[in-house]
Amino acid sequence: MKITELNNSLSPRQRGEGARTLAWAMVIGITSLITACDPGTRNAVEPPTGAAAAAVKTPDLSGGDSSAMLRTRVDTALKGKVIAWVPVALGMPLTEIWTQVMRAEAEARGMKLEVRDPNWNTTAGLQAVSSLISERPDVLVVHNPNVQLYARELARAEAAGIVVIQVNMVSNHKTSAYVGANWKTVGRLLGEEIVRACGTGSGTSGKVAIVQGEATSGTSIEQAQGATEVLATDKGIRIVSNQAANWDASKAHDITATVLQQHPDLCATVGFWGVMQAGAAQAVKSAGLQGKVRVYSSGGDGKLDCDNVDSGLFTKFLTYDAPSQAKVIVQFASFMLQTGLPPSSVRAADYSRLQWMEKGKYDPGLCYDPARRGAARS
Amino acid sequence: MSVAATMVEGGWLRRLRWRISLRLFLSELLAKRWMEPAIPFALMVGLIVLFSITTPYYATLGNAQQLGREFAEAGFVAVAMALTVISGGIDLSVGSVFALANLAALVFFNIWNWPVGLVIAATLCIGAAVGAVNGFLIGYLRTRPFLTTLVTLIVLRASVDLLGQHFSVPLAMASRVSWTWDVIGVGWIAKLPSNLAILGIVAIVGHFLLSRSRPGWHLTAIGSSRKAARHAGIRVERVLFLTYVLSGMLAAAGGLFYAARLNSSGSDTGVGWEISALTAVVLGGVSLAGGRGTVARALIGAVIVFVLVNGLVRMGFPGALSSTALGAVLLIAVGIDVKWAKNRGKAIQKIYVNPTMVELPPAPSIAADSGTAFAENTRLQASEEIGLDQVQGPEDVILDRQDRLYCGVREGWILRFSGPNFEHREVFARIGGRPLGMAFDRDENLIVCVGGMGLYGVTPAGKVYKCTDQTQRSLFKLNDDSRLRLADDCDIAPDGTVWFSEATIRYEMHSWFLDGIEGRANGRLIAWDPATNKTRTVIKDAVFPNGVCVAHDGRSVLFCSSWLCRIYRHWIEGPKAGQTEVFADNLPGYPDNLNRASDGGYWLAMVGIRSPTFDLLMRHPGVRTRMIKQIPPDEWVYPGINNGCIVKFDESGRALESMWDPGGTKHATVTSMREHKGWLYIGGLENNRIGRVRLPDADPDWNGYDAYWGSARGRS
Repeated sequence: MKITELNNSLSPRQRGEGARTLAWAMVIGITSLITACDPGTRNAVEPPTGAAAAAVKTPDLSGGDSSAMLRTRVDTALKGKVIAWVPVALGMPLTEIWTQVMRAEAEARGMKLEVRDPNWNTTAGLQAVSSLISERPDVLVVHNPNVQLYARELARAEAAGIVVIQVNMVSNHKTSAYVGANWKTVGRLLGEEIVRACGTGSGTSGKVAIVQGEATSGTSIEQAQGATEVLATDKGIRIVSNQAANWDASKAHDITATVLQQHPDLCATVGFWGVMQAGAAQAVKSAGLQGKVRVYSSGGDGKLDCDNVDSGLFTKFLTYDAPSQAKVIVQFASFMLQTGLPPSSVRAADYSRLQWMEKGKYDPGLCYDPARRGAARS
Repeated sequence: MSVAATMVEGGWLRRLRWRISLRLFLSELLAKRWMEPAIPFALMVGLIVLFSITTPYYATLGNAQQLGREFAEAGFVAVAMALTVISGGIDLSVGSVFALANLAALVFFNIWNWPVGLVIAATLCIGAAVGAVNGFLIGYLRTRPFLTTLVTLIVLRASVDLLGQHFSVPLAMASRVSWTWDVIGVGWIAKLPSNLAILGIVAIVGHFLLSRSRPGWHLTAIGSSRKAARHAGIRVERVLFLTYVLSGMLAAAGGLFYAARLNSSGSDTGVGWEISALTAVVLGGVSLAGGRGTVARALIGAVIVFVLVNGLVRMGFPGALSSTALGAVLLIAVGIDVKWAKNRGKAIQKIYVNPTMVELPPAPSIAADSGTAFAENTRLQASEEIGLDQVQGPEDVILDRQDRLYCGVREGWILRFSGPNFEHREVFARIGGRPLGMAFDRDENLIVCVGGMGLYGVTPAGKVYKCTDQTQRSLFKLNDDSRLRLADDCDIAPDGTVWFSEATIRYEMHSWFLDGIEGRANGRLIAWDPATNKTRTVIKDAVFPNGVCVAHDGRSVLFCSSWLCRIYRHWIEGPKAGQTEVFADNLPGYPDNLNRASDGGYWLAMVGIRSPTFDLLMRHPGVRTRMIKQIPPDEWVYPGINNGCIVKFDESGRALESMWDPGGTKHATVTSMREHKGWLYIGGLENNRIGRVRLPDADPDWNGYDAYWGSARGRS
């Protein structure tokens, strides 16, 4: 009302002036906006390469020539150091195992493990990572929900002098270390197993369903690539479904149930994580096809995987032994802290040993039970 | 200048206790519109302070910048949500639009290699298109916003999942570099994270759009009541349509920044953001019922949600617990929203009236045999009626040089009666508001105080014009007192300055009697100079200043203070100019209008007569406070304003005589009187007539206009 009145009370000339003023204000505003722009950097500090890499000061590693001196050196390097750890979520065996083992290993060396739980929320995960950077832990261990999300933050962390170790799910930005499975290999091994079971001459339909995880996750992408490459080599194999269940068992269940309705003669379903693929296995079981449809998966959820293999849910299971991975992470962190190497000067990876599990045929040491360990701890 | 200071006697401590009222401050504070987001604002600041203290490195520039960058996208989504909620709807699809925009921007930029400008435009267009679908359904087809946008949410989410799977591998591998893209994503604008800077601009523009522009008011009006908005001629369909389009664009802008910042097309992008946005919006004090809210409030809410979730993540709370905390916060916010909206008005009402102490000496007797000038008689009962049942509440009456009688009535009109016996009634002018006191200026324009509007003039031809409706604002008053709320009576000094009273700045025309229960110095005496068109407050804390009359010599202005039962003289010329003194004190009733008499004295209308009961109550503000709090308004004790009289004073302030209508059969309330050619014309705020009584001893030629401006003969 009031502006209307005002507007009406203004003469056309005044209104014209108003418009002109507004136009000028906009022009000035936009100009100053553009001049105030600054692109920033995606990689806060570029990792040194070439000559710059050579210029990285070799850390002084002297003073460890006797046992006692070495002990002192190690203690000063590790005591009270903080390892921050951001999984995609807690509350599942894989991340619980990592957390328990890392904590135990870290504390045994006088270090402290701090955990942030984004609970599958990528936004929260990102916030956790960026806030950790400002808190300056000595080591940051991340479990990337996808290849892009943390990329810039990881670069920032390294620039801030934080050693960044990525576990199992890798980012497009590589950091000091990657500890986890070589996913292409995992995919290939799974593929080869399927080819053996369903390929030409197996007398099956050759129909295969692939249950991907999060389609943007490095883990899933590389497993899918590895598996499809191998599967493509056999003419008898036909991929009837290749969908993403986003690491969600119920989604995997629904996808598989639908696939089974369309293809009751399915030869095999392969999933890229045990917890998720258990949903697919349940769908196979509900359809009364257990034993007829082969269920393959990779994973590292300890006792859960053993149970699933024992109960016949999984035909064959490829494990990467999560407790060992956790140990490697802490060892690598310890190495970096002791050597004092600038984080961006190191690009290393430890590809986990892969082991097949079959009903009755596996190392019982792989059946780590986080629930029992957790109970024992408290 | 204070005229209230002299009014009370007794212990100064007690006086002070009732003069300074925390409740008064609180009630006026609560009534301020900007108070609505005060609680969320305090919460926001509190949270930030809390985390600054408890979290290491929280209060650092770097962290603030980082937080700002992460916050901005959620801010866009919250503003998008807020717009639709204010319009009385909801947009649940903001999270999906955000995700779709994110994916689209990534595909446009990384895979299709479009120029960045085109990426921006196309992404915003996608948001607008989704918004257009929502807006078309909700605005034109009148579907329910909740269900409509819920469907959009699901459909879009499914589309994003399907498309995301299709593009995920190439997107994961993409690595295009662009300066502009970097500015948007990780760059800086004027040392601020670029997305935050743009959000700031959007917020400022949005705030003005919503609170200071016609489309914004339309939007709010529709949110308050779609039906009423339609009746008011607002194009409801179009405004709603545009609201959803805008909402879609804002959500898409959020998605665009997210894409540029993270290059991530994760499948859970934007999942649950509609809930966070809704929490933010409600928490910030935007009403879910629609029609109430601003962009700033939405952003305050968004900051709270962001800081809270971020803080919980930082403190290492398990993720599920953070979600639960957010849910709990939403629940509390909705609860407070409902309670606040329902009870704020009541709470203000409960504490708005703030009685203060008024100590009046015992009133002079009005008994018929008392022998005082106030002795009750029946002189008014002999009055002749004019316009019986043709007028509603002629608060003031005045006559022009042609002997025509004017009065302002409840309808907001000025009526004019003419003819030998005033039998001809016509509507002279339709001003609106509540016309009260009147005066003729030198050019025979009728100057009228209009309750609720200000000071207006009417030319002899009946054309209405505004004299003034505002004065300067007091510096330290919460209540915006620049607008004239209740201009009451006016008179005009020889230099043309219009002196008028504003009875109270805390109450409106319909609740003016509450000011009587309060007894506080809420009124003021104001002067408007037509030559310069300047309005200035001359006396700013008068207790219900009512009638105003320029003295016969034009050197002072008399004005009444109703609740103090007193008349003041304010000197405007001569050695005492600027001073205020008491003209007549301790009247037996509540003085109203004051006008010149032909014999050099003054007529005073008393709107009501004091009673010992109410005088006693006025001494005890605590009792009145309890009364207001504990019993319903129809059982309150009010000042007696149902029967009064007319008193004549001489120039020295001595009461000479009075005229009464005991029982109030003819003149229940007397609020004004005007002498004209040997008659006294009587008006009353609640009366159904104008009365007139003959004044046998008065000058039969005397009339108001000539008394002020000289006789017509003399002028020509």
